[in-house]
Amino acid sequence: MKKSSKLFSILLSALMVGSVLAGCGSDAKVSSVVDESSSKASEVSASKESKAESKEEETKTDGLAYKGEISMMHFSTSEESEGNGGSDGFRTSIQKWKDANPDVTLNETVLANDDYKQKIATLASAGDLPDVFLLQGMNTKAWAAQGTILDMTSIIKESPYYADYNQAYFTPFTDGDKLYGLPALTGGTCTVVVYDKVAWKAAGFDKFPETWEDVKKADEYFKANGYEDTLSFGNGGKWQANSNFLSVIGDRFTGPEWFQSIIDKKGAKFTDADFVSSLKFTQDIFASGIFNDNFNVVTNEDAREYFISGEAAAFIGGNWDVSYISATLKESNEEAFNNMGFAVLPQPEGATKSTNSQNIGLGYAVSLNAKLADDTDKLAAATDLAEYVTGPDFSTYVAENYALAGLTKIDDVDLSKFDQITQDFYKYSYVDTTACEIYDSYVNAAVWDVLNTEMQGMLNGETTPEATAEKTQAAYEQNY
Amino acid sequence: MLSKRPKASTIIAYLAIPLLLYIFAVFIPLVTSLFYSFFEWKGGPNKTFIGVTNYKTLLNDDVFWLSFGHNIYLVLICLIGQVGLAFIFVMIINTRFVRLKGVHRTFGFFPSTVSAVSIGFIWTMIYDSRRGMLNWALTQMGMEDKTQVWLNNSELVMTLVSIPLIWQYIGYYMIILLSATSAIDKEILESAELDGASSFQKAIHVVLPMIKNTVAVCIVLCVSGNMKAFDNIYVMTSGGPHNASMVMAMYGYQISFAQQNMGYGSAISVGIFVLGIAVVGGMQLIQRWISRDEVG
Repeated sequence: MKKSSKLFSILLSALMVGSVLAGCGSDAKVSSVVDESSSKASEVSASKESKAESKEEETKTDGLAYKGEISMMHFSTSEESEGNGGSDGFRTSIQKWKDANPDVTLNETVLANDDYKQKIATLASAGDLPDVFLLQGMNTKAWAAQGTILDMTSIIKESPYYADYNQAYFTPFTDGDKLYGLPALTGGTCTVVVYDKVAWKAAGFDKFPETWEDVKKADEYFKANGYEDTLSFGNGGKWQANSNFLSVIGDRFTGPEWFQSIIDKKGAKFTDADFVSSLKFTQDIFASGIFNDNFNVVTNEDAREYFISGEAAAFIGGNWDVSYISATLKESNEEAFNNMGFAVLPQPEGATKSTNSQNIGLGYAVSLNAKLADDTDKLAAATDLAEYVTGPDFSTYVAENYALAGLTKIDDVDLSKFDQITQDFYKYSYVDTTACEIYDSYVNAAVWDVLNTEMQGMLNGETTPEATAEKTQAAYEQNY
Repeated sequence: MLSKRPKASTIIAYLAIPLLLYIFAVFIPLVTSLFYSFFEWKGGPNKTFIGVTNYKTLLNDDVFWLSFGHNIYLVLICLIGQVGLAFIFVMIINTRFVRLKGVHRTFGFFPSTVSAVSIGFIWTMIYDSRRGMLNWALTQMGMEDKTQVWLNNSELVMTLVSIPLIWQYIGYYMIILLSATSAIDKEILESAELDGASSFQKAIHVVLPMIKNTVAVCIVLCVSGNMKAFDNIYVMTSGGPHNASMVMAMYGYQISFAQQNMGYGSAISVGIFVLGIAVVGGMQLIQRWISRDEVG
């Protein structure tokens, strides 16, 4: 009896320790769960797939020598892909690649974007990146310096689709003359004014004003006519004022050369007068009362609801907000949906550069783990996957189904079958405006985190544009 | 009759389980943090040994010390709010005028079973300036001039994020203190009543001294819990506006993960550990000093 209880206790403790240790290697479990959910979503999108299937057969010709597992991590969850063309296209392309390569087991880990960013940063720190993953532009230089990501220059230049790549999209994933990823998902604007055309017409503006003075005039009308806000904006996450506002306003004051010099470390400083002017303008315009008074607390998700509910006459956000607003209004308020208009930010007084710029780009690229260089066959398979999910099949799918553009250019996008709003947004994003850079696709997280935090204080009047610029410059010198 | 005492090896085998778990989950991360804190490490395999530079930076880091101040504020307000109010509630529940004592216990304890993240979301909705209950109630009471964007008020924000924490944990301490008071011999309380002691006098002069040790445990739990506060504040304000509600754990998280500065983040973790021990130790010394006075 005693002996058996002793044995039992030893067994039990061994089991406990075993289960603790097994917790360390739980990745496999996660991916199998995700596999299930992704296969479910693939059923949903199966009907959409059938259209492009014939083309896919043409692309997949050679079989791959590699037979085994490839790990992949991304953030196109099934929830995200509903209504989001880039995510839907990405998931669809992955599924097609899996179907075409049954000998390769693709272990996907799919997380929501915020969780993804945190987990991939942790894995990069631990030198334990998956074989294929999405690299955010601002991490390129740091991770390249660490040697954790593969130099893909020759792979990209030898890609069968190289001639069709939109070269401008590679900039965030470049370090010196080396390329570290194939820009993925769809090129979407980070800054757009979505406005109610009818409301602004009633305020005396046939289209959205080109100067902030006019916006202030309209504000008087809107406040007198029952609107809570003229413009709604949410900076509760701290990054929005940077990504969805300052990045464009900065370009209007400094021009693109200044930011290029910041990226290249060629002498430009955050304390330069033009950039400080853009901060000063941002502080003043947010203090002018044309925005919702709680802009520093609510998120963009809250702020866009103010526009949807008609409390605000316009909203400033990114392409992801436009997808949501369009989908919601189309279902709940067709009239409001048809009245939607898109405009660039008005030109600030004193700004001398481009008047119709908006920041657009591909924020993420499909990148490969540097360790793949040791296994030629596996590398070839991973490369094939990376090229496929950013290639012409993907671009055709998102253009035909969502009027969006990816890395690979395709000619003659037929927009006629889309509704007017989708066509307008396509023109806003890719045709009628000048592209400028998305600040936080470059440099690094430490610098932007300081700028974002300081700017939130600045917008509350607790600190000055000059102090914000100085702290950002200090973080830049220390971390970049 | 009790069975024979088990052999030492059996006891050790059983104790080894929690010990191994503790070593794995607490001790090893602590030691590795200490190790990494001497490096400049922005993630990845490359680390540069920089000695105590991270600690020098930490000593001069305004945001870290501001966060420490916020943690201390949180500790003080929660000591009063959580343990203090819990004691008052216990005294009220223990009076013979309160019916359905079990229901009070259950509902009082209920919030502490809800995740801090959910509680953060619930209270964010309450504070919401457009659709929140707080501004709505103020408007209904004719105090429209008092309505504001609550979580954007730098001076109030720490108090506002503490309220959900207090609300959540009153029940937790209430249960601990209730079990302590139930152990007090009823005759003592009755004789105090016969001597003409009021409820207040009974609470202060009879009950409190008799549950002194349990109160001390509650204080230690409350202090250590609030020194590592993170989740509900992260959900409600992410430390904002600016750094007005930044606490140490969130600052460490921000440096380590948002800024990907693992070396300095590790130094911050070690800083939190040392300051946490110092504050908890300090509280215990104060308690011991008070008790010694009483004995003398």
